[in-house]
Amino acid sequence: MKSPRSRSQLSRRRMLATAAGAASALALPGGPVLGQTRTVYVNTWGGSWTAAEDTAYFKPFTQATGIQVRTVAPVSFAKLKAQVQTGQYEWDASGLGIVEYSQAVHENLLEPVDFSIIDRNAVPAANIKSHGVSSVTLSTCLVYRKDKFPNGGPQSWADFWDVKKFPGKRCLYDRSFTTLAFALLADGVPADKLYPLDLDRAFKKLDEIKPHIKVWWSQGAQSQQLIQDGEVDMIAMWNARAQELIDRGEPLEIAWNGAEIYTSFRFVPRGNPRAKLAWEYLKFISEPKQEAAFCSILPYGPNNPKSFDHIAPDVAAKLPTRPDRVKVAHQPDAEWLAPRLAGIRERFAQWLAT
Amino acid sequence: MAGVVAAPAGQAGLAAAPARGLPADSTPWLLLAPATLALVILFLLPIGYVLLLSVTDPAVSIAHYRRIFSVPLYTRVLFNTFTTALTVTGVCLLLGYPVAYVMARRSDWVSTALLICVAVCFWTGFIVRTYAWLVILGNKGPVVAVYQAFGFGAPPRLLFTTFSSILGMVHILLPYMVLALYSVMKKIDPNLLRASASLGARPAASFRAVYLPLTLPGVVNGSILVFTICLGFFITPILLGTPKDMMISQLINQQIEELLAWGFASAVAVVLLVATSIVLAVYNRFAGLDRLWG
Repeated sequence: MKSPRSRSQLSRRRMLATAAGAASALALPGGPVLGQTRTVYVNTWGGSWTAAEDTAYFKPFTQATGIQVRTVAPVSFAKLKAQVQTGQYEWDASGLGIVEYSQAVHENLLEPVDFSIIDRNAVPAANIKSHGVSSVTLSTCLVYRKDKFPNGGPQSWADFWDVKKFPGKRCLYDRSFTTLAFALLADGVPADKLYPLDLDRAFKKLDEIKPHIKVWWSQGAQSQQLIQDGEVDMIAMWNARAQELIDRGEPLEIAWNGAEIYTSFRFVPRGNPRAKLAWEYLKFISEPKQEAAFCSILPYGPNNPKSFDHIAPDVAAKLPTRPDRVKVAHQPDAEWLAPRLAGIRERFAQWLAT
Repeated sequence: MAGVVAAPAGQAGLAAAPARGLPADSTPWLLLAPATLALVILFLLPIGYVLLLSVTDPAVSIAHYRRIFSVPLYTRVLFNTFTTALTVTGVCLLLGYPVAYVMARRSDWVSTALLICVAVCFWTGFIVRTYAWLVILGNKGPVVAVYQAFGFGAPPRLLFTTFSSILGMVHILLPYMVLALYSVMKKIDPNLLRASASLGARPAASFRAVYLPLTLPGVVNGSILVFTICLGFFITPILLGTPKDMMISQLINQQIEELLAWGFASAVAVVLLVATSIVLAVYNRFAGLDRLWG
């Protein structure tokens, strides 16, 4: 009986000693600094996205302000709602596409912009909304394989719909409003008259192309695999995913005409106790220099025109928000979509499944 | 099973229980309490919450259920989910039974090799295995290459069909079936087969009358396991199948992740749960779920 007891006392004593040591270490000169460390938790996608953020945002921010950045992956829209509902915050700042952002505002999940920190005059008016500041932009555009179309491929959604002039296997994006807008463009609706969407007209036009769509994609990696392996000859895909393949030497061409510009907005979940820190962080990364640094690593479009001053021309040539590309692109009307998306999504899913 | 374990322990505690002023026979219940508590906290409460959400979010009504049964999309996808799960279970059983049989009956390197193959398959992530099929059946894959090498001309369309979707799911779920069957088959006494042979039964008759009935617990166990896991699949059909192969979990996921419609998603989940329970109840009526425990 005796030996195990004394052993357990020993370990208890050792544990106490360790704890005391740790406590005194905290009280030593390093202690007060540790106590003051401020940390902001940023929600991120992981992978190359987080690596780019680390170089363009996190490190310079910590250097400039002393505020540490910790990351939590991946980005989840549902997690935002769960956090606000439970009052337990895993992260303080995140970003979502403009349509999801508007849904979140509609559901009252976001903190209003703190204008004591965010400077209205520092960024273009379009880059600030009531509950968020714009992040970078991703385009969904028409991409085709050059080896399948040596004499020039489809240059518009009307061409994509023209199966006689451009025979080949096709692939579209399983995101309702994006694909519906492309159908309307193919049907001759001008880009500035797309919204509010004429759903009946769009679905009628989609009926035409449905038998020629070999597959519908929903995951970014899936879209890359499909066009890279030649499973399909033309596809509606994200410019950054296509650019990654082009940089690797795949014979792809991006047709920027008719692209859907999809801007992200960064925000703070409603009720977050570290909101001030989060807005400090968001203010810092919205500056042209930081935006330019990020967009020089990954081919997403900066939203502040001044950012292009810091971007090399060969990099700018890959970006979806270069002024000449914005002119031939369109944007979803997120405020119109947000309250209607559930119905549109349902109709789209039913149309797909039949 | 917990009751069996609890009984002797309860008797052992009899002496102490009255001293604390508790009735003697409450001790087994006390011993069962941790397990019951875990079940309630981990299963009953969440399911209850889902049930509650489905009729209260965003407002108290049964509108979600009305929508599920009035919009054709949901009943159609639900029906497809069950037929797909049944097909996958059937194919897994047909393919898994012979494999498990060989694994259990042989005790040499063949058995070990098969077991390693099944285990490696089991431990490889299902996303990886799904993408592997995209390559194998794809344009630049071996199937098409072999087809063209023999000069058969244009290969049939393999990818993005119901066939490839079922194939992918069978590949992912087959190890569950094989291991469930194997664990039961391994316990069957080989002397029983020798006995039936000595009584004049031909191998086929001896298999039918002796071996097959003894493996039924494994068949039931494996089938239910594969069937219920398959009901929750959606990534594999998205990547390998057509939009017509959509599974109900995909719609639940869309409602939660894209639309934040938790109330409606809960209602769909409840309908799936009820439908699954009905299927299992019918199955129980004819096959008997108690066979699960041998």
